[in-house]
Amino acid sequence: MLVTIENLKVQYGKQTALSITEPIVIEEGDRIGVIGSNGAGKSTLVKSILGLTSYEGVISTHLIPEQMAAHMQFNEYVSTMAVKHIMETLLNTKIKNNQKLQELISYFEFEGCLGKKYQALSGGQKQRFTIIMVMMQNAPLTFYDEVTSGLDFETRQKLMEKLVDWYKGKDNALVVVSHYYEELEQLADKILILEKGEVVDFCTQKDLFQKYCGNAIVILDNTIENRELTKEFKRLDAPNHLIAISCTDGKEEEKLISLLIEKNVNFKRSNNDIEIMSINAKKRFQEEKGGMTNE
Amino acid sequence: MSKKCNLGLIIYEIRNLSGNLFVHFFGVIFPIVMSMIISSQATKEVPESMKQEVVTAIVITMSLIIPMAIMLMGYAANYSNEIEKNVPLRMRLFGYNEKSIILAKLIAQLIFLTVAMAVYAVAEVSLLDLQKPALLSLIILVVSLYLVAIIFFMLAHGVANILKKFGPTYVVTMSLYFLFMMLCGMMGIQSDQLPKPIKTIAFTLPMTYISNEYIDFWQGQSYNFMPVIQSFIFLGALAGIILFVSFYKNRRKIA
Repeated sequence: MLVTIENLKVQYGKQTALSITEPIVIEEGDRIGVIGSNGAGKSTLVKSILGLTSYEGVISTHLIPEQMAAHMQFNEYVSTMAVKHIMETLLNTKIKNNQKLQELISYFEFEGCLGKKYQALSGGQKQRFTIIMVMMQNAPLTFYDEVTSGLDFETRQKLMEKLVDWYKGKDNALVVVSHYYEELEQLADKILILEKGEVVDFCTQKDLFQKYCGNAIVILDNTIENRELTKEFKRLDAPNHLIAISCTDGKEEEKLISLLIEKNVNFKRSNNDIEIMSINAKKRFQEEKGGMTNE
Repeated sequence: MSKKCNLGLIIYEIRNLSGNLFVHFFGVIFPIVMSMIISSQATKEVPESMKQEVVTAIVITMSLIIPMAIMLMGYAANYSNEIEKNVPLRMRLFGYNEKSIILAKLIAQLIFLTVAMAVYAVAEVSLLDLQKPALLSLIILVVSLYLVAIIFFMLAHGVANILKKFGPTYVVTMSLYFLFMMLCGMMGIQSDQLPKPIKTIAFTLPMTYISNEYIDFWQGQSYNFMPVIQSFIFLGALAGIILFVSFYKNRRKIA
């Protein structure tokens, strides 16, 4: 295993930013998606593992800091020179002599930006600049904290496609923090759900989905007709504009889908929807916490 | 493996430093202009026989502006800007430990300081009538300026590292800059003329001796260096403590 976190507590002043009571283990080749609302403790977790913030508890690892690569939420560089010089210095190499770096620059279509200063790059170019260098580190453990935040939909999609494609078949462990559930569906095989500095759950994506959503879910628009039509089925919590129905087995799923087809209702079927899964995980967590408080 | 200080990193720091126009003006042009202006004013009321010595004393005093502007103010401004943008953190995440970064920065600053001092020396010798120094006296001045520069570098790095913001760092280093100028006789009042308690403080600083007393042995006269050495040790220790505290505050905590 790469990292073990036990009884971690991070405090900013009197406020507890993160509290992890059950051990969390990051193993080689893991692809961990970290989700949670603002202030959930996602970036604090990354900073704690990287040793960039003070904490109580134990984070044990055989990795030295240089074996962890990180694309942080905010990545700034000096603007006194062209990014080419920054890249060559940070990676301690020369672009013209490094085939792998040339490939990455070309893969991310960054050739035209090498002569520009960092402040002159667009948001997407800035993200690609850091990603290229983080990938070049080829670290056993790599963090991507909000790698696509602030980018438009198309740029986000393209960037994620390239990231997914690049890491396919590679054994680097990744910890990906994101607000975008669809990105994690593509990249992560384990999910860590955080809420107000506490761990809601941590397991494989598949097991968490089974635990909170069942075998599969069917999602449709939240209209009066659809609510009436699906009232016999088990509803899950979902964003206001949607209805999410849990199907515990194939028969139930078949029955629901046949009904929807018969009534000509549009729907989406999923067995890995992280958004619905996390909403219901958080709900159950709050209920259990409330129950414990009442007791 | 942690990346060590290397030529590439030093060249990067020289590029970074050269991109800061502040140090070009205040570290290179300003001391030359100041020494010219003050020399021409000061020699108006001085007997002809004393002029060369007065001008030489002014040139020695104004040479202190070079390390103060480059290291104390210029470097502090540049580095605190970097800290505010988390640039040193990114360097650390790419495997450069703080010691390598600080060493590369120091070497780059010293290279720039050397160029600035060379320009200053050429300009002063070409434009002013100076006393010819004894070789050892000249070496002592140059070594003193490098030592002062290194101490200012430690101070600036430590202050920026502790305060972490450009604004507060600039206020502190700018205040120190003017305080040192005032105490060390660079603002028109000789350190000897200061009130006693302030004079005592002034003479704990090596810059006071450079500014007020280096002219006394410029042509090889005898001089007691013990107070100068003590002042270097005092200011160096103070800067070292501040730097150490800043390292401790910013250490990475990995089990």
